[in-house]
Amino acid sequence: MSNQKTRVAIIGTGNIGSDLCARLIQSKEFEVVAFVGRRSDSPSLVKFRDNVAYSISTGIDGLLEIIEEFEGFFDATSAFEHLKHWEILKQHKKWAIDLTPSKIGTPMVPELIGQSDKFVINGTECMNYSMITCGGQSSAPLVHAIYKHSKKISDIEISSSIASKSAGPATRLNIDEYIESTENLVKLITNCKSVKSILVLNPAEPPIMMRTTVQMEVADFNLSAIKQELKSIVDKVKRYVPGYEVVVEPYSPSRNVISATVKVSGAGHFLPTYAGNLDIINAAAIETARRYILAKKEFSQLEKKL
Amino acid sequence: MIQLYDVTLRDGNHALRHSLTCNFVSEYCKLAEESDVWAVEVGHGNGLGASSYLVGKSADSDQDLLLAARNKLSRVKLAVHAIPGFATIKRDLIPALSIGVDVFRIATHSTEASTSQKHIEFLRNKGVIVHGVLMMSHMNDISGLVEQAKLMHSYGASAVILMDSAGYFVPNEVQERVDSIKSTLGIEVGFHAHNNLGVAVSNASKAIESGASIIDGASMGLGAGAGNAQLENIVSTGIRNKLVSSEISKYLKMSQIVEQSYPECLPRVTSSSIESGMAGVFSGYAPQVKALAAELGIEPTAIWKEMSKRKLVAGQESMVKEIAQDLMNL
Repeated sequence: MSNQKTRVAIIGTGNIGSDLCARLIQSKEFEVVAFVGRRSDSPSLVKFRDNVAYSISTGIDGLLEIIEEFEGFFDATSAFEHLKHWEILKQHKKWAIDLTPSKIGTPMVPELIGQSDKFVINGTECMNYSMITCGGQSSAPLVHAIYKHSKKISDIEISSSIASKSAGPATRLNIDEYIESTENLVKLITNCKSVKSILVLNPAEPPIMMRTTVQMEVADFNLSAIKQELKSIVDKVKRYVPGYEVVVEPYSPSRNVISATVKVSGAGHFLPTYAGNLDIINAAAIETARRYILAKKEFSQLEKKL
Repeated sequence: MIQLYDVTLRDGNHALRHSLTCNFVSEYCKLAEESDVWAVEVGHGNGLGASSYLVGKSADSDQDLLLAARNKLSRVKLAVHAIPGFATIKRDLIPALSIGVDVFRIATHSTEASTSQKHIEFLRNKGVIVHGVLMMSHMNDISGLVEQAKLMHSYGASAVILMDSAGYFVPNEVQERVDSIKSTLGIEVGFHAHNNLGVAVSNASKAIESGASIIDGASMGLGAGAGNAQLENIVSTGIRNKLVSSEISKYLKMSQIVEQSYPECLPRVTSSSIESGMAGVFSGYAPQVKALAAELGIEPTAIWKEMSKRKLVAGQESMVKEIAQDLMNL
């Protein structure tokens, strides 16, 4: 693999965008060419001004002025904004990693690539991958493990509690979209039509760590196979989300129902460790971008050979 | 004018472990229609869209319960409780609008009003009455409650309801809070009591004296934990204090049908409910704490104390299992 870094832009200077920026400027594989906000006094734009080539406070318009400088972008604005950004930037052949709940991108859970046929990285096209939600990313390993070793899933529920401090204004305003996107991801993994997602914000001090509980109603299941499967996926997730752990092992609280709970503590890049919800979605975003770039390189090498 | 807001068919559903049926809703609403209650709230204990493994599955769906109530109510308004995070606009509020719900209460934890913005804004131009509800209001200080109430008001809520979801308050604390919101915002204020410390009716009376105009109560106190302020006692003390003008007999009929239909579910002030009240933990956790304590052979007190320490809010049922497990491993 060549040592050339992939040049990217980050749009959105809120909690998610800032944490992404903090991660990517340390990365050996990525270079943050532009960090894009809409206010010149945005504290994060100021904070990372010296770490990026272009610190842009004029939104997408400012980014268009340096359109040749980057290959793809991470969007941590809002669902509404992302639709506009993608409309414009796809014409310039920029790939996108979408961290908003816009639902326009291809849903991606990087730890399930190669595990589930629903998650395939396509290096042949200019792609938009959606990171869905923190509830989606944190529940996916549990949902997949139970799905793989159960028969006839009739009902699924995903409930997450997160620290109030880790829920920014966009999450609060878009709580319905959060719920719907999480549910759609679980439907995609399992083909089950009856899926419910719940989000609870807890303002406790010191802030709580994110918890996600999955409950699934199934006709039959193999508990030891589920536990084993979960362990192997969790080991993989831990490689890029070190604070991901199972706190209540899969068990059957009532007949034909399986439940398990994970806790996600953050790595503390930009935000404190209680922001595990942001941590997991950003870690997944970077991992997805990494896998996509790898797939693109493989494809272009293959093309050269032919 | 005091608006009596009857939560028997919603908060009471906690006491019934969400087993409320359309039949009972129908029967109860017939009697409520004859009383002077302003609104009857119907649905799952945690509100619209909350039927779940996490907080309990409903026997009859919200929509069926609402339809049953709608058929019997004409003078009395039909009301719902909806918590963003459980209920969504598309899945829950729109169907409730089409059933003809008159009053929508959008509820958040006492520090999280900003999660109610879209829901309140969506409803405010739909020709319905919208209340903002601050649940677990003892978990925010007075100036914080005023700030949160202001947010809900700015989104379009015509009234803000303070819920003492843990049954933690004593009357002078209720007075301070109602006073502060009334005097700073000048909007309608409501109060919703729980009886863990045995002062639910006193708290409701104090709220009325302090200027609250919407008062929640439940027949026989049917509600989570030690139950709500008993509606028939809000009315009887209100009549004695010349704050309410109504006939008590109408409320006693509602009370009797609850007493006769659910003799085994009537809430009482038990040692457990006093513990949860003192600890300031949401009353709705009581059945789960009781069951886990029995299953694992630990004292309920230990679980309540740990829940209080970790400052659980409503809707964190899955944490109770983890806490009990941690206590076992100590």
